[in-house]
Amino acid sequence: MGERARAILPSVFSVFLALALCWVFIALTRDTQVASEAYLQMLRGGVGDWGAYLDGGRITLLTRPWGEAAIKAALLLLTGLSVAVAFKVGLFNIGAQGQMLLGALAAAVVGAQVQLPSALHVVAALLAAGVAGAFWALIAAWLKLVRGVHEVISTIMLNWVAVSLVDNWLVVGPLRAGAGTAVNITGTAEIQASAQLPRLLGEMSRLHLGFPLALAVALVLWVWLARLRTGFETRAVGLGPEAARAAGIPVTRRTAEAMGLAGALAGLAGAVLVLGTEMRYPGTLGAPYGFDGIAISLIGNNHPLGVTLSAVFFGILRAGGTRMQLLGVHKSYPELIQGLALLFVAGRQVWLALLAARRRPPPAPAEPQPAPETAAPPAQRPEVPRV
Amino acid sequence: MFEVVEAILSSTLEYYPALVFAALGATLSERSGVTNVGIEGMMRTGAFCAAVASITMPTPLGVCVGMLAGAGMAAIHGALSIHWRADQVVSGMALNLVALAGGTYLLEALYGPNGTPSIQQLSRWHVPGLAEVPLLRAFSGHSALTWLALVLPVVFHGIIYHTPWGLRLRAVGEKPHAVATLGLSVPGLRWMAVLGGGMLAGLGGASLSTAVLDRFEQHTPSGLGYMALAATVFGRWTPLGALLAGLFFAAGSALRIGLASSAPGLMTIIPQGFLLALPYLLTLVLLAVQGRRTHAPAALGVPYQQESR
Repeated sequence: MGERARAILPSVFSVFLALALCWVFIALTRDTQVASEAYLQMLRGGVGDWGAYLDGGRITLLTRPWGEAAIKAALLLLTGLSVAVAFKVGLFNIGAQGQMLLGALAAAVVGAQVQLPSALHVVAALLAAGVAGAFWALIAAWLKLVRGVHEVISTIMLNWVAVSLVDNWLVVGPLRAGAGTAVNITGTAEIQASAQLPRLLGEMSRLHLGFPLALAVALVLWVWLARLRTGFETRAVGLGPEAARAAGIPVTRRTAEAMGLAGALAGLAGAVLVLGTEMRYPGTLGAPYGFDGIAISLIGNNHPLGVTLSAVFFGILRAGGTRMQLLGVHKSYPELIQGLALLFVAGRQVWLALLAARRRPPPAPAEPQPAPETAAPPAQRPEVPRV
Repeated sequence: MFEVVEAILSSTLEYYPALVFAALGATLSERSGVTNVGIEGMMRTGAFCAAVASITMPTPLGVCVGMLAGAGMAAIHGALSIHWRADQVVSGMALNLVALAGGTYLLEALYGPNGTPSIQQLSRWHVPGLAEVPLLRAFSGHSALTWLALVLPVVFHGIIYHTPWGLRLRAVGEKPHAVATLGLSVPGLRWMAVLGGGMLAGLGGASLSTAVLDRFEQHTPSGLGYMALAATVFGRWTPLGALLAGLFFAAGSALRIGLASSAPGLMTIIPQGFLLALPYLLTLVLLAVQGRRTHAPAALGVPYQQESR
């Protein structure tokens, strides 16, 4: 089995196993016909209703679902990349949620309060979001590098601090739309038209600039990690900080940079949400996008291209998931599929063992677990491959 | 004034069992060298299963079902991280996501979005005499779990520091290879710790749905599992530390509830968000002050491989 296959196959199998398992769940609670129909609806909601379109329907039957899938995919991709970049230096960024929150808030404030010409305004709001997210992540990096606080704990705490301060104070207090007046709107003031991410297909779809932007970010990250010196050094730090330090790589600096970059990406996700679809900081962000990012990154094997594929795939499922409700199937199914897929990806070694066992000449047991004293002499017992 | 303190104290005593049980579970698991980020998911599963079971059986039995459910989730974590040497943080996060999505789905499929039907709450203990004393009356009228959560950390302290099994548990988290040299089973010890930790996390979740509330709701653990994780670190991976940290966090949350109910005037001056953020901010500051002197088990998060040295 080649290196690349070892990296990709477990994720692919995990996703399919999760899909199959969820199909069985629906079939058990409803019936098989509903389960199949639900999956079909999910697909139609994500990649377009091709059947109806070819029967002489309008192009919006395709462009509407594409737009919804792209919106979801852009957010999953950016938070996924955030988690993936932190992973590259060996940090587990559970704080993408908090970083995204601050980014969304910064974008909403700049979008609403600052007067700038159109193109500049969007860029300024995106930048502000990136800086805000990076700032929040750098607190965790500082705590880790200077004070030795584990990043898993500090980023979880920072998530809660962000939620408390933003959702329970700023957005309902000083930054509330019409603060100080009797007007009661949830969320901040609406951003100005000049700060909106332009829609790419006009009225035909909600597809906006956020999706190509996220794709471009993924591409840049890939080139950076695979081709540039600093990218290589970043990966080296993640593979072994001691060896990297011995090789003269500034480990502390690369770690801080990567964490800051992770925060900036999560912040950017917040900006895309605010500038592209919400047009204001809503009362709450609504979904645990940051935690989705963890799943997307790990299913995509922390590789920018893998993360892109995984984000697009789950973006399609997420967008289509709302259509499953038409059949009375719960809309959280795509999240369940995503969670199960991550669980199976965590069992990467199981997949690799299964794959390796299949290639051995004598038929090995399905679970290649050395059983005590079987009929076969110990020497011929299939070993669990050490990876 | 007394009423404010009483409300805060009573609310603290209401919430801390969940935190203490879960933090104790995480402590047990992490002492054996297995990181347990999946505490939140185990709590959620425990809370859900305890509530569902209590619909048809006596609530104390339902709590036991919740504990078993927590152990069931822990078994997945154990299989992945001990047997298959998966990344422990990844495995734990996966459990959280599955429990979140799966719990949401099952809840709505079986009972609708408003939560399970209400169940018989665990009976509350009214300590005779205490109910008349001002301030101390806050200690009366809680379930047995409140008292168990005070006793259990002491019991675990005794087990971990004063029994041979506790010594082995501590050793397996520090130097698993040394334990293996003595002919003891590293995976066996870790399995026990992880399953025990899952049971405790399940108990923590069950205490929420059977003692604090009388049903399972969509948001039941709502991050308490992650807080318990912080309490574990903050309590330096010791049972008594988990108790104190759990009490501290519960008091932090209770401060807001107590103030909101008894001093609404104050809430207009101090934004509610500040009070909400306070326990987390304090944790961060205290962890930063504690700094590198934290005593994480040396082998924490490192999958054990017999032949790796």
